[in-house]
Amino acid sequence: MSGFVLAAELNETALSIFAVVIAITLIITYWASKRMTGASQFYAAGRGVTGPQNGFAIAGDYMSAASFLGIAGLIFLFGFDGFLYSVGFLVAFLTVLFLLSERMRNAGKFTIADVLSFRLNERPARAAAALGTLSVAGFYLIAQMVGAGVLIQALVGIDFNLSVLITGAFMLVYVVFGGMLATTYVQIVKAILLMTATIVLSIFVLETVGFNPVELFNRAQAESPAGDAYLKPGLFLSSPIDTVSLGIALVLGTAGLPHILMRFFTVPDAKAARSSVVWAVALIGAFYIMTTFLGFGARAVLGTAGEEAAGTGGNLAAPLLAEELGGGSGTFGGDLFLAVIAAVAFATILAVVAGLVLSASAAMSHDVWSNIVRRDKEVSEKEEVYVARIAAVSIGAIAIFVAILGGEGLNISFMVGLAFAVAASANFPALLLALTWRRFNTTGAVTGVLVGTISSIVLVIISPTVWPGADAEGGALGFYDLANPGIISVPLGFLGCWLGTVLTRQEGKAERNFDELYVRSETGLGAEVAEEGGGLTQRKPGRAPASAM
Amino acid sequence: MAESQGVSGGVEQNPEIDWEAAERSPEFRALIAKRRSFVLPATIFFLAWYFGFIILAGYAEDFMGESIYQGLTVGYGLALTQFIMVWVLGAVYLRKADRDFDPLARKAAARALEVGRERAGDGAPPSGGRSERGETPPGGEEVPR
Repeated sequence: MSGFVLAAELNETALSIFAVVIAITLIITYWASKRMTGASQFYAAGRGVTGPQNGFAIAGDYMSAASFLGIAGLIFLFGFDGFLYSVGFLVAFLTVLFLLSERMRNAGKFTIADVLSFRLNERPARAAAALGTLSVAGFYLIAQMVGAGVLIQALVGIDFNLSVLITGAFMLVYVVFGGMLATTYVQIVKAILLMTATIVLSIFVLETVGFNPVELFNRAQAESPAGDAYLKPGLFLSSPIDTVSLGIALVLGTAGLPHILMRFFTVPDAKAARSSVVWAVALIGAFYIMTTFLGFGARAVLGTAGEEAAGTGGNLAAPLLAEELGGGSGTFGGDLFLAVIAAVAFATILAVVAGLVLSASAAMSHDVWSNIVRRDKEVSEKEEVYVARIAAVSIGAIAIFVAILGGEGLNISFMVGLAFAVAASANFPALLLALTWRRFNTTGAVTGVLVGTISSIVLVIISPTVWPGADAEGGALGFYDLANPGIISVPLGFLGCWLGTVLTRQEGKAERNFDELYVRSETGLGAEVAEEGGGLTQRKPGRAPASAM
Repeated sequence: MAESQGVSGGVEQNPEIDWEAAERSPEFRALIAKRRSFVLPATIFFLAWYFGFIILAGYAEDFMGESIYQGLTVGYGLALTQFIMVWVLGAVYLRKADRDFDPLARKAAARALEVGRERAGDGAPPSGGRSERGETPPGGEEVPR
């Protein structure tokens, strides 16, 4: 991070818009806390969230500041390559839709581990799933916290450490007091704010080129020192094999992100689960197409002169563009636009980190505490929710601590890459095989998750992103220079699952229970039913899925 | 296996249902066959289209940079086809699920419950062993998909 500051002093307009956003989210949280009745409300909003609502919430959970500011920045700096990320992030939802969303809803309760432990030996299966969830959520959370600190410091003029603390504090208020209900609403509000801001900015950008996107590409190219190469791949991702490797992690990783999968437990049935995915891709797809207008627009409007001001990774390109389109620095319109974008970015970060902390705390309380540590005792819902709140505060505190310790220099992109790599290499193979492969057993799940997690971490640590070698050309090991581990770690994760399974004896129980899990996940028979009065709006009771009798 | 009280454990068990019989019932096999006949080719198609695009982006930079229309490049155009693919496949899946998969899923579920009730009436214990497993109807092997 360059430590570049857009707001040399406290930006008061931005602060007051922040205050409005925060006030709205706190009112939501207060309302949600009044309706907090038990574990199903805390983890799953009473399973009463509708398909469209969940679609907005998934979009709100998924479109992080990294995609809003990061991808616009990458496109601004490197042209076409930035768009490759958007494509991968979007196509990934087909993996979720076809393979997991309905099955998760039908077979799961609160966490990924519920699905694994249904047919496998409970303790090891839950421990493995919790490890996968906590690693992904942890890496992603730290990346988001550092990003939050850097952005708020740059946009509003609040010091980095204080920015991280503020973000962490609000995130914890939503989760601890409002649980999934408040988190869902915060994500919906954020999705609406972000979409609106992006649409408005896109219209302003397109207006400068007479609403002709092709003209925008030409102007952007003309403003780039890279010339022709700007509209071609290869400026940012120079190694083809690395590009493919990134693609693998993106397209399979989303299907292993615990905070996204957890959202499928909040809807009443499989039908709502699949419609929420389609709502989400409609929103997310439109959003990513518009980020290209922002990225190319920033290049066309700001030109080469904007590069330094946009900072490392071009993260500030979109806010700078907003300022320029509003009338420029120092004008009323410019300040206002900048302030609005800053507030939207802040809301964006809050919604994502809240979802992450919630999924991590569910893994700690529902999996580790209730079903591993206190397995032999009867754990009341009250105790479990209490533990979940303590876990949320602890996880939040650790993330704040690490973010501040690592400081603004912490490499965010490697943490995000790591989160997606672990999700694709550990969580995704284990989940998919548990739902579809009869012979799969506990050892296979444990080895798969361990191999996927460890190989991702090791490969990222020795990669050139983290550890430039002695000659600063390759990675720590001369022969290994992949920045993205997916092409190796995903097959290793599957291989781990397979080897662990075939090298150990068949588990009669795992295979017998497979019949039940298989029938349940495909038909919705015996699936968890929505609570009366659950969800965001009061609904009539008894809307159970037709097939669950 | 997971106990069903409190919050611990996975989803509640339904002891009255013979899951093995349900899994082998023609209704369930019909559901699986129908769903697989869409999901498997659709998954292969979208992965192929996506990785084709990614591989071109990695290995055919100049081709991707060629202009199709004024400044619109092959790369950007192909990227847009990915968006269209996601939206179209998503919509088609929703339609097929509502029209084809859901009715079959309801039938399979009803069948499983029916068999469960019959057995409870006979007083016959649900079969627990896996010995009869060789008789899976064609197409009944569980391929990860």
